[in-house]
Amino acid sequence: MGSTVAQGPDEPGLELVDVSKTFGGLTAVSSASLTLRPGTVHGLIGPNGAGKSTLIGIASGFIKPSSGQVRLAGRDISTLDPTRVAQLGLARTFQQATPITGLTVLENVMVGMHLHYRSGIAAVLFRTPSMRREAREREAAARSMLENFELGADADTDAADLPFGKLRFLEIARAVVMQPRLLLLDEPAAGLNAIETERLAAIIRVQAAQGTGILLVDHDVPFVFSLCDHVTVMNFGSVIASGKPDDVYRDAAVREAYLGDETAEETAA
Amino acid sequence: MRELRLSAMEVATLLVIAAIVVWAALFGSRLALYDLTIIALYATVVTSLNLLLGLAGQASFAQTTFMAIGGYGLAVMAKTYGVNPWLAIALSLLLSVGLALLIGKPLLRLRGHYLSMGTVALALGTASFANASSFTNGGWGIGGVPALTIGGFSFRNSVAFLVLAWALCAASLLVYRLLGDSHIGRAWRALSTRQDISASLGIDVPRYKLIALVIAAMMASLAGSLYVAYTRFVGPDLYDISQVINLMFMLFVGGLRSTVGPIIGAAFVILVPQAVSGFEHYQNLVFFGLLLLVILLRPAGAFGRVRGQRALESILPSWLLRWR
Repeated sequence: MGSTVAQGPDEPGLELVDVSKTFGGLTAVSSASLTLRPGTVHGLIGPNGAGKSTLIGIASGFIKPSSGQVRLAGRDISTLDPTRVAQLGLARTFQQATPITGLTVLENVMVGMHLHYRSGIAAVLFRTPSMRREAREREAAARSMLENFELGADADTDAADLPFGKLRFLEIARAVVMQPRLLLLDEPAAGLNAIETERLAAIIRVQAAQGTGILLVDHDVPFVFSLCDHVTVMNFGSVIASGKPDDVYRDAAVREAYLGDETAEETAA
Repeated sequence: MRELRLSAMEVATLLVIAAIVVWAALFGSRLALYDLTIIALYATVVTSLNLLLGLAGQASFAQTTFMAIGGYGLAVMAKTYGVNPWLAIALSLLLSVGLALLIGKPLLRLRGHYLSMGTVALALGTASFANASSFTNGGWGIGGVPALTIGGFSFRNSVAFLVLAWALCAASLLVYRLLGDSHIGRAWRALSTRQDISASLGIDVPRYKLIALVIAAMMASLAGSLYVAYTRFVGPDLYDISQVINLMFMLFVGGLRSTVGPIIGAAFVILVPQAVSGFEHYQNLVFFGLLLLVILLRPAGAFGRVRGQRALESILPSWLLRWR
């Protein structure tokens, strides 16, 4: 989808320009700017309530910004709904793992391929050869994706019955099969054990190497810093620092606002 | 996929149903032919509901509206204006599609109980209009609807009509299965539980709901037309609120998202009252007692695939289920 837009290393990717969002009297995001380029991993950290998830909501069309602009590959998408934004090549996951219950694990992933299906209603009703071939090929692709995510054995389980860690991977698999140019991950490592976190890191690296721009929101500071090409720090709805991980880590404002607590000092040391 | 795969039990049931229909066509009494024809037509409407509510999760109580367009459309055009009955059925079908497209967008923006209320209002409005308008001949209804014919052959023959009705039913079941077992059906099932996630995956939620409504409207309209073509009469009672409730009974007794369920449900709701007619004044009591029993013993319906109580929860208020 959206292949008409320029692609390549110079592609602007996702740009949030002076984006603000107020809910009633509460300012969730205050003129925040952020650029996510294809093929890079961009960390977004900040304390609870800093506005990180709101920013993902704004970028993916779920929340309309009060002011500012959201651009995808140079095009203003501030007023588009989530469906259109997804069709333009932006995928997201949610902070709460969100299986589509009533569908199997395999079907959850296949729903993620929805945009790539070419068969129309008539082809489906007449079971044309090309429709059947497409259905077979997509199912095979979904199964191999499940194998990559070590979910192969769970293919036919109802997604509602999956344990927590696997749900996280299912959700990421469902977003990855969309073959998005930009992938926004909202706390994907939350609740994962060390082995699972390492697998997640490997997946993120592979996706970035294949050209996907990844926005990684997480609380696990060492995890984020170890993966990212670029880190943005938010506090109270504002961006307080943005740059290369090392530079951000040395930033005094960041240390005070966020890394200043003892645990962060220890883990980062 | 998993939910749509026919179980051995369902295949066996389909074969038994087919055998009963063939037997009735060869040796059946007039009553057997009548009952089986009506069951086929109602099963078609219930299948439309199974697609709309079962697959796409849109609790519509307005399928009687599209049946009424099919029924009255045929009667008014063929009887009052002398249009060829087949053409009248086709034009009614177009009318139903037109109405579905017109009301679909605003109506399907409503969710849950609000959608139920909106569609109940539409069903009530349909019955009131049919009852009050001179166009539909009010409470008298329209009798003497011309019979369907092909060349010299007339569908007055009840065996021929039985075949026609079951052909429509089989076609609807086929459409239900083919769509259900595809990426389109998967999108419906996804948005039936999580609209937000479906949208984030690029599924155009309003459009898919509208497609479901239009297809369901077509099934209900055709079944409504054939019903009137069969009984040669149309009146407001056919589309009153008790009919809406009967359709829901049929769907839930048969089981949400089950392919053969609509036939079983329609047969139960049509045949059981006849079977218990010996109870005279207590007939309704016995029927609803049996209905309650079925629902309690099999909350997901005879062939239901929706796990646990989800089927019931999607439509009944929670306080009603809590005592279980």
